[in-house]
Amino acid sequence: MRDVTLRHEDGGTRSPASAQADRPDAGEALRADGITLTFGGVTALNEVSMSVKHDELVAVIGPNGAGKTSLLNCLSGFYKPQQGQIIFNGADITGKPVHEVAVMGLTRTFQGTHIFSGMTVIDNIMVGRHQHMRSSLFDAFFYPFRAREEEVQNRELVEEIIEFLEIETIRHQPVGSLGYGLRKRVDLGRALAQEPKLLLMDEPMAGMNTEEKEDLARFILDVREGKRIPVVLVEHDMGVVMDIADRVMVFDFGRKIAEGTPAQVQRDPAVLKAYLGGGAV
Amino acid sequence: MDPAGTFATSFVRDQALIRTRWQWLALAAFLVALLIAPMFVGPRLVAIGIGIFITAVVVLGLQLNTGYSGQINLGQAAFMGVGAYTAGVLSTTFGVPFFLAIPLAGVSAALFGFIFGLSAARIKGFYLALTTIAAQFIFHFLILSLPTSWLGGSNGIIVAAPDFFGYRLSTDTHIYYLCLVVVALMTWGAYGIARSRQGRAFVAVRDDDVASGIMGINVTRTKALSFLVGAFYAGVGGALWAYYVRYVAVDQFTLIHSVWFIAMIIVGGMGSVTGALIGVVAIVLVQEGISTAGPIVAEAMPFLGGQISFAAMNIFLGGIIAAFLIFEPRGLMHRWIIMKRSYRVWPFPY
Repeated sequence: MRDVTLRHEDGGTRSPASAQADRPDAGEALRADGITLTFGGVTALNEVSMSVKHDELVAVIGPNGAGKTSLLNCLSGFYKPQQGQIIFNGADITGKPVHEVAVMGLTRTFQGTHIFSGMTVIDNIMVGRHQHMRSSLFDAFFYPFRAREEEVQNRELVEEIIEFLEIETIRHQPVGSLGYGLRKRVDLGRALAQEPKLLLMDEPMAGMNTEEKEDLARFILDVREGKRIPVVLVEHDMGVVMDIADRVMVFDFGRKIAEGTPAQVQRDPAVLKAYLGGGAV
Repeated sequence: MDPAGTFATSFVRDQALIRTRWQWLALAAFLVALLIAPMFVGPRLVAIGIGIFITAVVVLGLQLNTGYSGQINLGQAAFMGVGAYTAGVLSTTFGVPFFLAIPLAGVSAALFGFIFGLSAARIKGFYLALTTIAAQFIFHFLILSLPTSWLGGSNGIIVAAPDFFGYRLSTDTHIYYLCLVVVALMTWGAYGIARSRQGRAFVAVRDDDVASGIMGINVTRTKALSFLVGAFYAGVGGALWAYYVRYVAVDQFTLIHSVWFIAMIIVGGMGSVTGALIGVVAIVLVQEGISTAGPIVAEAMPFLGGQISFAAMNIFLGGIIAAFLIFEPRGLMHRWIIMKRSYRVWPFPY
């Protein structure tokens, strides 16, 4: 059995947390200040501020409609907040197009599956390597030696991810034919292939059985500890959140109502009120 | 799926297009057969061969554009026409040799296609299909409205036979070899694009443009690029057409031709380079069969009238598209893959 962590750290292409220690904003991978997002008259996010440290696993929880997914969409560039600023590794990414944010190293997995169902598992994860490959259309047409070399080098990295996620046996299968749990794993693999500097995950556990949840929780912890990628996790499953998160942020009606360690948050009266209604407190 | 006992032992092997020694032999035999065919078959079959080659180039482009990138394109015939006119004008008026005129025809068609690719950035599906139909009408309108001295207007333009350092490629057999070389190169290119970083970006945009963005793919650029590639292929095919027919006119590149091209990728199988080639061969052969049988049927049964070929062709076009969409929506290529898998695993159930 091989070491389950990837060897990215010595590859030099991504900068692990330790390499960023001498930056001015050393402690923070991501910082958002006063984010406000409205859709017509509905305020989805109201003056939300947050920060994520390197090596940290932050969970975002809250009742339905609290603004969790809206927050993720703002951070990854799908929505442009009307107010506020998002700083990622020292660069302002507010309102930048999704693909530019992605190339800077901020990636995410999706609620449900947003997977390339017509492609095999390998090709799906190879798409994650897109931004790290340089072959042009011209190279693709003539397919010279260097285009093949680049394919093979990136394929090796993809195989490491396949091994890490334990999906070796399905690598040649079209993703459309796979079950939900495996699709989610491919989704994670695709994000990891990007060698992200921050990984956002939108309800990765939704719709999974206990066994699948345990597997995925293990992978998420490996990502954080083995690859030292900070993770922001939106999740409804309290058991999972309380077990794996370092810090929990609680949202309700577009505002952050509580923040702290899982144990602190569990006892917070505002959180109890949001989840159980005013009368329960 | 590889034959039993054949396993890729390196990533180079795993991504190779030709996977076994027998496939190499089969490919070599096929190419040799294509090379020597004009010496053994009659002029009619050579002409059908040229037709298949030219259509194959155009349809390969459509496959990359529509089959891989999912951008519905009903303007492929117009892009082909742009290529044909470019090659015609370049070689006749400016004396540009064909080996430069063909790629330049591709480039000019690509630029024309790129304009419609930009509209794909904002619209998709049904609306995009309508926009690309506009390409057909803009093309016709431009050719017919520009001064006759430029592009010949409704008279069309006569194209000189291509000249290869003093050697005139004037017979059908010459054109056959010219087309064979071009189609081989363009097929290689299509396979290359399909398995490369760009090809994966195309499929990613087709399958899920939201997720493509987060993978760092510039979705707008990729869509426009797919039109660029598709139209380039159409332009190259158009140039070959100009050199083959040696006469270019607008009514050679109508909307119905574009629909035929779409039918070919549906029949062959969307999203497969080999499927595109299979679709072209299947449809062109049936078209030729109908146009051969038409006069015979008309003679035998005069009450049907002389238009039988024309009518049968259109019934066939509509029927084949409907039948494939209902019964075999993934095309002949998909059926072939299923057959191949079942005989390779036989006698085991999986």
